[in-house]
Amino acid sequence: MAFKRKEAVVEAVDLNTITPEDAEKRIIAGVKKYATNEANWTKADGNTPYLGHIVGMGIESANLADITMSIERQFLTRKTTRVPVQGSETEFTLVDGELGKLRILEGQDSVMATPGLTIKKLMELGHMRADAAYLEGVASFATIVSVGAGHRLNDALRKTLARLEKLAPAERAEAKANLQSLVQQTQDYEALLADAAALAASKQGDFQTDKASFDSLDAELRLINEKLKGVTATDDPSRAASLRAEEAQVRTRIRMMRQKLVVSEETARGAERRTKVDEAKFQETRAVLAESVKAGQQAMRAATPVAC
Amino acid sequence: MRLQRCLANAAAPFVHLFLWAAGEKRLGYAFKDVDAFRRQVWALLDSHDGPFIWAANHLTLWDSFLIYYAIFPFSKSLRWNRIPWSTPEYTNYYKLGNWLQCRLIRAFMYLCRCIPFLRGGDDEGSVRWREKAFEKCIWLLETGGTVFVFPEATRARNGWFEAHRPKDFLGRLALRVPDVKFLCLYMRGETQVGTTAYPAAGETFRIYAELWDPAIGPESTPRSVAEELFRRVGELQERWFASSSMAKNCSGNDVVDLASPLAREHFSPDLAEADPEWAERLLTAKEAAYLGSRPPREVYRTFWRFHAAKEAASKALAQAGVKVLPGGFSTIEVELFQGKARHLPSQLELCLSFTDDDGDKLHCVAVLRGGAVGDGQTPGDVLWRVEAVPPGRSPSDFARELCLELIAGSSDDIPSPASLSFTEIDDIPRVVRQGKPQDWGVSISHSGRFAACSFMVT
Repeated sequence: MAFKRKEAVVEAVDLNTITPEDAEKRIIAGVKKYATNEANWTKADGNTPYLGHIVGMGIESANLADITMSIERQFLTRKTTRVPVQGSETEFTLVDGELGKLRILEGQDSVMATPGLTIKKLMELGHMRADAAYLEGVASFATIVSVGAGHRLNDALRKTLARLEKLAPAERAEAKANLQSLVQQTQDYEALLADAAALAASKQGDFQTDKASFDSLDAELRLINEKLKGVTATDDPSRAASLRAEEAQVRTRIRMMRQKLVVSEETARGAERRTKVDEAKFQETRAVLAESVKAGQQAMRAATPVAC
Repeated sequence: MRLQRCLANAAAPFVHLFLWAAGEKRLGYAFKDVDAFRRQVWALLDSHDGPFIWAANHLTLWDSFLIYYAIFPFSKSLRWNRIPWSTPEYTNYYKLGNWLQCRLIRAFMYLCRCIPFLRGGDDEGSVRWREKAFEKCIWLLETGGTVFVFPEATRARNGWFEAHRPKDFLGRLALRVPDVKFLCLYMRGETQVGTTAYPAAGETFRIYAELWDPAIGPESTPRSVAEELFRRVGELQERWFASSSMAKNCSGNDVVDLASPLAREHFSPDLAEADPEWAERLLTAKEAAYLGSRPPREVYRTFWRFHAAKEAASKALAQAGVKVLPGGFSTIEVELFQGKARHLPSQLELCLSFTDDDGDKLHCVAVLRGGAVGDGQTPGDVLWRVEAVPPGRSPSDFARELCLELIAGSSDDIPSPASLSFTEIDDIPRVVRQGKPQDWGVSISHSGRFAACSFMVT
């Protein structure tokens, strides 16, 4: 069966024969048709998020798999030979082999939030040579996540402000309380972005939550193993088979949870270290937030009747 | 039973010390306001001379130990008639570890007043086992004792006590022992999202209790007793969540524009077949097999039903603090026929409902906790709206406005959408009213020509 994406003629190139900058351009061009925010896509660089309408390219979550497949279609790699991961029957990794199509394995695209982070991951996985100079210009995953949240919060505040101007005086009292709450939230978030240690601590909290879930799953696996021991001792083959199926299921769940843990660990770690490009992103976002807070405070003053 | 009771009475102080050492000292478990709680519960227990049934929600395998420990200070460990007998699942506890471990655990369970229960199996042996355990419970209650039963009979897969799904077991027990009173309980760790084998180390628990006299009369039935009991435990759950930092209402929605060119991109021109390489990234093996079994004319719609369900489920999960990684849709498995979605790593189970399902679009609502999604017979606790985005409007802005209008229009207390605003907390959209973010399980979505929103009214 001919699928439309196969009609598209894409000349794949060996990732080791092009510069990271060229790869970045190809990645951005490849996702054009999924980008719903044309303006942001047109000026996109290595640090423009794929998702999100405010500062991102506006790609919808329904098209996330398309981004990964678009990247795979465009590049060739030598990491093409599958090798099973020790101790697992379902997982495998890729090692050097014949030049062939790039394959991004399950979970590897979780932190590929921007073209720059995609290239960084491809370098980490050995598909491309590491290029320290290029990586200096790539904002971390933690930065993209924190900055993105800041822009969404700013958008919410700006929209509330815009609505306030159109309201009848009677409606303003409740709207003012909401505005006050949003201004406070934005101000708090701006302060959080300014304090790298506090931001890192909050991300560390998310990591600890994921770690607790992972440990709990691990405990579940140990419990099943204890049950299996007990069943083996009493020789109940049907119960043993059902427990083995349960064990396999828990192992799959652990694998999925591990992927999530890797992402939250990366976010927590990245929040602690800020490169120049990260710092610039934070400064830019803080300036935007501070301006909106100022506008919000002015609007609140204007909405407060002055006593004569 | 008499011998077990004698030995368990003698062992009670030692069991208490063991639970203190294992729970408080080794695992760092703590109970919030435990002294006040114990005073309140003992006032209730001392108000009735007859038998008691403890009925509590169930999330971890250690719940009965933890609840016993929360209620019993050491000084009460000789109040034998008030120490509850439990009915643990035989397969969970009685065949654990090697020969020696297995016997040690069995001995411990024996001294902890356990009556092993076999919940699975419809064969004669299993049914007889259940009836025998039931009769043992009756005997204990008739002799003034206390029995502890989880009314749901299993751990809640969505982490939510379903008050509208009563089970009759406790109703049957109450009818056989008319002077019995219920101690309704709701206990949960502050970070306990769903079902786990054990609570996380260092967990702090909050617990609520209420005494209920079922006042058995000639018109009482097992179902009527069970319904009231479930309602009461459900109310305690509401109280628990009212003081929790976790959101109670967790729901999500997703709309798909079926005519969108991007939605059709990975299908054959007649939409009868999906690109397998693409589908493999989004579906589990089970879902892919189901898709493959559908008649060609239903493949396209079935695929997008899976996708909408996963997207809606991921939004509901995020509200509960369980974030699904971008592109991690293969970690959610959908059962379209049963209207369920399961997050595989956490095993949290969500209920699904497809609304506005026509040739142009489909819309899905998912509920994890806080209420019911509803079905053809009974209305649920989720309200939603799907509308076409007017030309020139930003779909995202339009979806937000639609949501505020829907919420304001659904309540006499909210004068207009102007009294509401949107914000985002931990990447989750929340509606603010009177300056406070509301626990309404709000969700917004847009796709192609359509925008949609939903929220919960519980």
